[in-house]
Amino acid sequence: MALIDVTGLRKSYGSREVLRGIDLQVDEGEIVGVLGPNGSGKTTAVECIGGLRTRDGGSVRVAGMDPADDPRALRETLGMQLQQCRLPNRIRVGEALEVYSAFYANPRPASELLERFGLSRHVKQPFGKLSGGQQQRLSIALALIGRPRVAFLDELTTGLDPAARREIWEYLKLLRDEGVTMLLVTHFMEEAAYLCDRVVILEGGRIVASGTPESIAAGAGQQETSFAVDPAVDLDALRLVAGVTSVSVERDRVLVRGDADSPQAVLGALAAAGITARQLRVTSPSLDDAYLTLTREGASR
Amino acid sequence: MTAATATAAHVRNETRLLLREPAALIFGAVLPLAAIIVMAVIPAAREANPDFGGFSVVQVYQPTIVLFATSVLGLTVMPAILGGYRQQGILRRLRTTPAPAGALLAALFIVIAAVGLLVSALLVVVPAIAGAGLPANLGWFVLAAVLSLLAFLGLGTVLASVVPSPAAASGIGNVVAAIMWFASGLWLPRVAFPDWLVTLTDLTPGGAATQAMLNATLGVPPSGEPFVVLAVWTALAAALAVRTFRWE
Repeated sequence: MALIDVTGLRKSYGSREVLRGIDLQVDEGEIVGVLGPNGSGKTTAVECIGGLRTRDGGSVRVAGMDPADDPRALRETLGMQLQQCRLPNRIRVGEALEVYSAFYANPRPASELLERFGLSRHVKQPFGKLSGGQQQRLSIALALIGRPRVAFLDELTTGLDPAARREIWEYLKLLRDEGVTMLLVTHFMEEAAYLCDRVVILEGGRIVASGTPESIAAGAGQQETSFAVDPAVDLDALRLVAGVTSVSVERDRVLVRGDADSPQAVLGALAAAGITARQLRVTSPSLDDAYLTLTREGASR
Repeated sequence: MTAATATAAHVRNETRLLLREPAALIFGAVLPLAAIIVMAVIPAAREANPDFGGFSVVQVYQPTIVLFATSVLGLTVMPAILGGYRQQGILRRLRTTPAPAGALLAALFIVIAAVGLLVSALLVVVPAIAGAGLPANLGWFVLAAVLSLLAFLGLGTVLASVVPSPAAASGIGNVVAAIMWFASGLWLPRVAFPDWLVTLTDLTPGGAATQAMLNATLGVPPSGEPFVVLAVWTALAAALAVRTFRWE
């Protein structure tokens, strides 16, 4: 059975339906990204699955436990890093780790977390005097201090500089190697592509796409084949090539859009006509493209 | 992890944090101590005063000052801390840990009550050292002081849950505290209250606690009523505090 098993999860705030039936299964050791525009229900979904909000319908099991019962064992199993959660301004980094480690049966040593998250030099610094990135790092460290089997991280790298972001990604990869199952709520496609085995894209309270980052990117976007304008090229002939959906000239380049096999077909057609494409470039669709396409579709529905 | 280890960790931590934020303690601890010291060093305040039925100013005001300290700590310091924790998402964050909700509440109770007990003890000991004497029935005095502290801490916790903004909660706490000060005779000594006002204020935790402490100071045989009133308020506040508690 999946470690996280969600079926038909629904939640409304008053008359506003925020989640309209979410199904999600996450196996032990998987890292699953939850993507979606603001207001798509990402945070609500994660909070319902984590038992911080009462769901209106559907079933949720995390490691076999129903979060609605708020079992103590769930809190040992699940570490959560939430948005907009601060610590008292005057608590020092080392003290925060000390307090939180008292809550768990078998906590990670504070020294390990301090080093991993680059906080060793800030042990005695009060939370209120830390930079935004340092506060965020401490918050993630606290979510992982109890050696959770499952970790929910909500917008974990928002507000961090690129170097700090990469550092955290590396640490999360190490955690994955230890078998920690993770649900990452994120805005960054790059982050999802780098860390996640699988992503689900939420829009209007529904999952509009799910799969590996590569398959989602390939499914929604188009391959672009472009090369320098050449008078010998017959644009109309290119439009008839299998898999090609559009041909245009932008600036001084010919731009051919089409399916996954279209670049090969275009090059074949050119070769058959005895033309060598110069300054050839083939661009694969990115997760970003897919995300924008999918969520735009959702918004226009 | 047990509830006890979590509570102990919170107690250590909240003590540390409170000591770093001494502004919170100026009204609840420093001011009453300053008041009793000033009174205790004035010889006339330690002597029997015919206006107060043959008791000294210090004796008549001591219960009022103790009550001032316990009411400020319970009704304003408690909601300011707890409400702030809720507003900043600190409670929400704690909810994701195995530590039970009661652990932090218990720790705040313990830490603030410890401050209240320390201050109350000094408010009794300082005048005694200066020669104003101890309350005649020290045990009853202490019991009344402790009960008032518990009732106010409970009411402060309720305020923190019911009023959304911590500033407003502690503001309302201040108003309630001021009513308690009046009931305890801060502006007009209770011995000068007309009978109807005595009856009315006896039903408030401030009035009941002060009356019980006054009786103990003056050596009047203890009566059960103020203790019943205090016990009812404490139980009511505790039940309400548990019922109204919210994480966010």
